[in-house]
Amino acid sequence: MSASRRSLFPVAMTALVLLFLYIPILVLILYSFNDGRFSVRWDHASLKWYRRLLHERAIWHALRNSLLIAVTATLTSTVLGTTAALALHRYRSRLQKVHYGLVYAPLVVPDILAGMSLLLLFVACGVQLGMSTIYLAHVSFCVSYVTMVVLARLQDFDVSVIEAANDLGANTWQATRYVLLPLLLPGIVAGGLLAFTLSLDDFVITFFVSGPGSTTLPLYIYSMIRHGNPPLINALSTLLIAVTFLAVWGSQRLLAKQRKDG
Amino acid sequence: MAEFLEFRDIKKSFGAVQAVDGVSLTVQRGEIFSLLGPSGCGKTTLLRMLAGFEAPDQGRILLNGVDITDQPPHKRQVNTIFQNYALFPHMNVRENIAFGLKLAKVSRKEIDERVDAMLELVQMRDQAKKRPSEISGGQKQRVAIARALILKPQVLLLDEPLAALDLKLRQRMLLELDLIHDEVGITFLYVTHDQGEAMSLSDRVAVMNSGKIEQIGTPIEVYEAPTSSFVAAFIGDTNFLEGAVAALADGDYCRVRMPEFESPLLCFNDKRLSVGNRVYLSIRPEKFTISREQPQPDRLRNMLQGKVEDVIYLGNVTKYWVRVGEYRISVSRQHNRFLLDEQPIRWEDDVWISWHADDGFMLERYSESDEDLLQVPPETVFETEEEPEDSSQDGEDRR
Amino acid sequence: MNQRRRAWREILLTAPSFGWLVVLFVVPTLVVFAIAFKPPDALGGIGHGWTLGTWRHLGNPNYPAIIWRTLWMSLVTTALCVLLAVPTGYCMARAPRRWRQPLMLLVVVPFWTSFLVRVFAWKTLLHPDGALKRLLVALHLVADSTSLLYRPETVLLVLVYTYLPFAILPVYAASEKFDFSLMEAAQDLGAHRFRAFVSVFLPGIRRGLLTAVAMVLIPALGSYVIPDVMGGTNSEMIGNKIAQRTFVDRNLPHASALATLLMLAVLLPLALYPLFAGRNNDQKPDRKEVA
Repeated sequence: MSASRRSLFPVAMTALVLLFLYIPILVLILYSFNDGRFSVRWDHASLKWYRRLLHERAIWHALRNSLLIAVTATLTSTVLGTTAALALHRYRSRLQKVHYGLVYAPLVVPDILAGMSLLLLFVACGVQLGMSTIYLAHVSFCVSYVTMVVLARLQDFDVSVIEAANDLGANTWQATRYVLLPLLLPGIVAGGLLAFTLSLDDFVITFFVSGPGSTTLPLYIYSMIRHGNPPLINALSTLLIAVTFLAVWGSQRLLAKQRKDG
Repeated sequence: MAEFLEFRDIKKSFGAVQAVDGVSLTVQRGEIFSLLGPSGCGKTTLLRMLAGFEAPDQGRILLNGVDITDQPPHKRQVNTIFQNYALFPHMNVRENIAFGLKLAKVSRKEIDERVDAMLELVQMRDQAKKRPSEISGGQKQRVAIARALILKPQVLLLDEPLAALDLKLRQRMLLELDLIHDEVGITFLYVTHDQGEAMSLSDRVAVMNSGKIEQIGTPIEVYEAPTSSFVAAFIGDTNFLEGAVAALADGDYCRVRMPEFESPLLCFNDKRLSVGNRVYLSIRPEKFTISREQPQPDRLRNMLQGKVEDVIYLGNVTKYWVRVGEYRISVSRQHNRFLLDEQPIRWEDDVWISWHADDGFMLERYSESDEDLLQVPPETVFETEEEPEDSSQDGEDRR
Repeated sequence: MNQRRRAWREILLTAPSFGWLVVLFVVPTLVVFAIAFKPPDALGGIGHGWTLGTWRHLGNPNYPAIIWRTLWMSLVTTALCVLLAVPTGYCMARAPRRWRQPLMLLVVVPFWTSFLVRVFAWKTLLHPDGALKRLLVALHLVADSTSLLYRPETVLLVLVYTYLPFAILPVYAASEKFDFSLMEAAQDLGAHRFRAFVSVFLPGIRRGLLTAVAMVLIPALGSYVIPDVMGGTNSEMIGNKIAQRTFVDRNLPHASALATLLMLAVLLPLALYPLFAGRNNDQKPDRKEVA
């Protein structure tokens, strides 16, 4: 039908799709360096909004809250997710079938349902909404993601190395400590990184379970979008995008290393 | 004195599958003992029970007279070479080999000395700093051996250790294993489905089938004097002829009447069978003599006349399938003389096959399904063309 | 003894995650179901006794419109995402091996970027004074008075933008495993290239397609922020109503009933998933489909 062996249509579509994915982000970054009061009209390049950002105390407070929750939620969910993955991988009982369903379900429930149901629970139990409730909520959805990532890593590697360790004189604890965990580490770190970004980025669930004084960065950005100062958001968003790029780059490096060892 | 290593009536099932069904055997100190059988025969399960990875449902395992059945793997003085080596990917060669000694809290100086000696033994000195992903299959194999031997186990367990290697490397590693065994003198328990490996390496072989031991003996015994049709068919190739004892002949012989053939066949009667007993006669292809002319009659030789149906020239031997009545008899022949000088036997030729009465072997146990293990070419080419992927010719090598 | 220790270890490893999820996932979900059958009280709390009153309220003309809109917006979003994802995933899988990883990163990065930032980026882009609007006006494609924001189409656009990576990744993963020599075989047997694509490639990545559908449809059904920020009252979805009933009206039974409804809408496609996915391997298209 045509001289070229492959159709150009998919290539063109892919290019358009990538353009579609990146144009809003690029425009946003561009505007963050705009001096104008109204972000949509281009005046001249400046770092004014970044400087202004430095003096916005509320942002720093929100960032501190976000990081505090992200770090604690990541640590907790990494431990819970790793033990869950080990249990799911090692045992084939009916308990583990239920366990798997339990871990899987939060992945398919829309955020708004998770947020609302947790809010109702906290209200019903008379728990004061605030940092602690956000932490509890974040761990609940992060556990599932960490479990899935670690489980994938576990399913990838050869179980016989654990038997080999036992065979060479390692008891269960030693085999776990010297062989299983070092091999699992890239998976655990990748899971933790995922949990960290998800927690840092979560808006909907946080929105439902936050209380006075527990404004996180996404909550703050949301209120800025609704009522605030657009150029300031541009600048903040650009910083966040930069951080994301670094995180993705870092995790890719980690994955590459994992692939090399595996 | 107690046996060195003893399995006593071991049973193990996985769900509905009876993996090991009442196995008892003893292994002598220092010997290479092979468990040989097709996949799923229970040989690996038996080995894993000795290593401690599986617990038997019933029966005991004794090592040096001590019951080790309930000991966890890390307490047993046996070490394993895994089929895929199971080297620790996050440790280099040296760390892999030192792993067991470190756990045993051996002093660093001694660890270094012993690891060096091991690296020397398996010729991996230059590769000590490399990770498992950076070395070849044969080298991984050596590291796995060194890692297990450094703990000076009572028994070294080898679970299909050569299965992942290609043919040439397999033969070289086989030789190396033999040399290492001579050097260290440790008992080897070797699991394999490859009869060639088992025959060439072992002092004794246990042939297993569906969870049971069919026969234990030296490689020569199991090949030359199989006790069941399974052993006869699984190790090497054979022909089964069915009949009944018609008369006892002078000395240790008897005459077996086969409904297919006119005259009864003379057989060596080591089983002391009496007249009327049904027997299955196993005759290996290389025991036959094949010729176009009728051979000189011999009191101790049996003779049959047939027609060649297939000829496969394999270089070192030629295989013939000869139609004699209902049977297709497999005959192989070595060429001692320059082949091109002879006038070769061809397809459709009328031939005589003969064999010595001592070379036919009467079987105690026979099961028809064992005939599937034999290398029989298809009756006609076209009948089997529907399933071209399933080439059954090399079924034995390929598992 | 060994058996008991094994059982202990299993419980020790299972208990933390199991317990956490029962308390903070299962129990709250059940609470929502329960509250949907409770009457509200005047103070924004929950009254005594059980009632179906809340469910009868859902018949009020307001709700069916919103439920209907939620369904069609989610379905259109899903269709568009899959439509865009198939050629993209196909192209990525056929790209030279060393390009695949960078291409995948390009798709993943927006997906890792803050969700609110992405939504806000569109708001900037579509702003009445924004570049896109001026471009379209200059091209006489839209009148100066039309707003690009606060319309159902805008909401759809941003929904597609947000969930597109969710569709591309599974399609790409399935395509990468697909044996492209099958397509050559089909062409060799006389199938036109497009025909080969439809009758060999698409059935071959069926599971990837179904995962893509689930990955987009489920979160789209529960959308809240996008219609809230990008849309007006004419583009509200169930998510907005749930938030409104929870925070503004303080009518928790109403919010719970809507949440239950949303839950059912999510569970339905999930329950149907195995039906479509089939048992046979996705590498082998059915004979019937190829023929």
